[in-house]
Amino acid sequence: MLKVSQLCKTIKSKPILKDLDFEIDHGKIAIFLGGSGVGKSTLLRVLNNLEEYDCGSFDLDGIELKLTHVNHTHTVGMVFQHFNLFEHLSAEDNIILTLTHCKGMEKEEAAGIANRLLKRYELQDNAKSMVCNLSGGQKQRLAIARTLAVDPKIICLDEPTSALDPRLTGQVAKYITELAAENRIVLLTTHDTNLLEQLDAHLFLMEGGSIIESGLKSECLAKAGSYPKLNNFLKGF
Amino acid sequence: MIDFTLIWDSLPSLMYGTGVSLQIAFVAAFIGLTLGSIFGLAETSSSRLVTFAIGTYVTLFRGTPMLVQILFVYYVLPQFGLSVAPFWAASIAIGLNSCAYISQIIRTGINAVSKGQIEAAHTLGFTRIKTLRYIVFPQAVRAALPALGNELITLVKDSSLASIIGVMELSKEASIIRSRTYDAFSILLAVSIIYLVLTATLAFCIKKYEMRMKAYA
Repeated sequence: MLKVSQLCKTIKSKPILKDLDFEIDHGKIAIFLGGSGVGKSTLLRVLNNLEEYDCGSFDLDGIELKLTHVNHTHTVGMVFQHFNLFEHLSAEDNIILTLTHCKGMEKEEAAGIANRLLKRYELQDNAKSMVCNLSGGQKQRLAIARTLAVDPKIICLDEPTSALDPRLTGQVAKYITELAAENRIVLLTTHDTNLLEQLDAHLFLMEGGSIIESGLKSECLAKAGSYPKLNNFLKGF
Repeated sequence: MIDFTLIWDSLPSLMYGTGVSLQIAFVAAFIGLTLGSIFGLAETSSSRLVTFAIGTYVTLFRGTPMLVQILFVYYVLPQFGLSVAPFWAASIAIGLNSCAYISQIIRTGINAVSKGQIEAAHTLGFTRIKTLRYIVFPQAVRAALPALGNELITLVKDSSLASIIGVMELSKEASIIRSRTYDAFSILLAVSIIYLVLTATLAFCIKKYEMRMKAYA
């Protein structure tokens, strides 16, 4: 279980994240909702050690999680909104370079894993294609495959469908569900109603850097009265 | 009137001078590319001291004539106990001057690499050095290749400035032949053609390399 307690972050005396608490179990999907600028992406960036925070503690399976170590220990991985693939490399080399330099693998072993991941994400025919020659959907799948290469326990996806054709939402939802089924903790932000509909997730509604209401999606929909803010937000989604 | 006999008879001297010019350009390119790459990378660091030091260096070397810099290395450094042979004085001065320009070309190339890729490398566990080496630098060089090519062509032509301190490079050889024969037209025409062949060949090779790089992109 990932437990985040009292997370705070301030930029130029403006609170970006304020006393943020949440827990999420392995194999579960957490979706952070809210308008623009409420701190959803910042939260994911903090968890990936891309931004510093002022206070707070992090605990994974009862052990303190030091965010300064999460990248080298491959505890947390991130799939970026605009994929951020290595543009000068082929699809295959994006994974091979990651494995050889971040996991210390030999090239042959790395190539074997890259091959498996590319096959899993239906990219085997594009293994030698340069990143710029891939479609949006292919880039998205490659970004997931590259993140999975280092086998993180927690995967963060920032607006995973915002740069994609809406028809691909179903496919993305399938991949996200698979990630959770592998007992990973999946954290994501989205503004995509279709994606939200297709995922069985724990919802966290954020406002002003804090979580103002949370609950299982199924419960939120079944007991609308108990989750007024979430339902209100979802109605205007 | 072009005196082809004079040109033919002068060819051994001109070829020797061409060799020296190319050696100067090669040494200067080595210094310029090596130091320029290091400075270009260092300038993207967050250390204000480093960026200030490199900024000052660039201002000094871009803001003063290369001829003065060559004279400075050759005539002033010996006063501080650093005596340098003419060939090396010219090569070092041209290399240091080129370094100022190359550092800015590399810095621009580095800035052309999206910040997102660097962040992705960080989340995947690449160290800062590995990110620079395997992600940033290859793309920066590719983006900077046309400008780097121009700088290398300029270096070949700038090697002629070494004649001011008596290095027997192509221009100096031509100058000696001209003063001996009083035929400026024939010999300067021959020298111009040699420079043109050198720079055109270099430009062709750089273009080929650029095309090869593009094929991978």
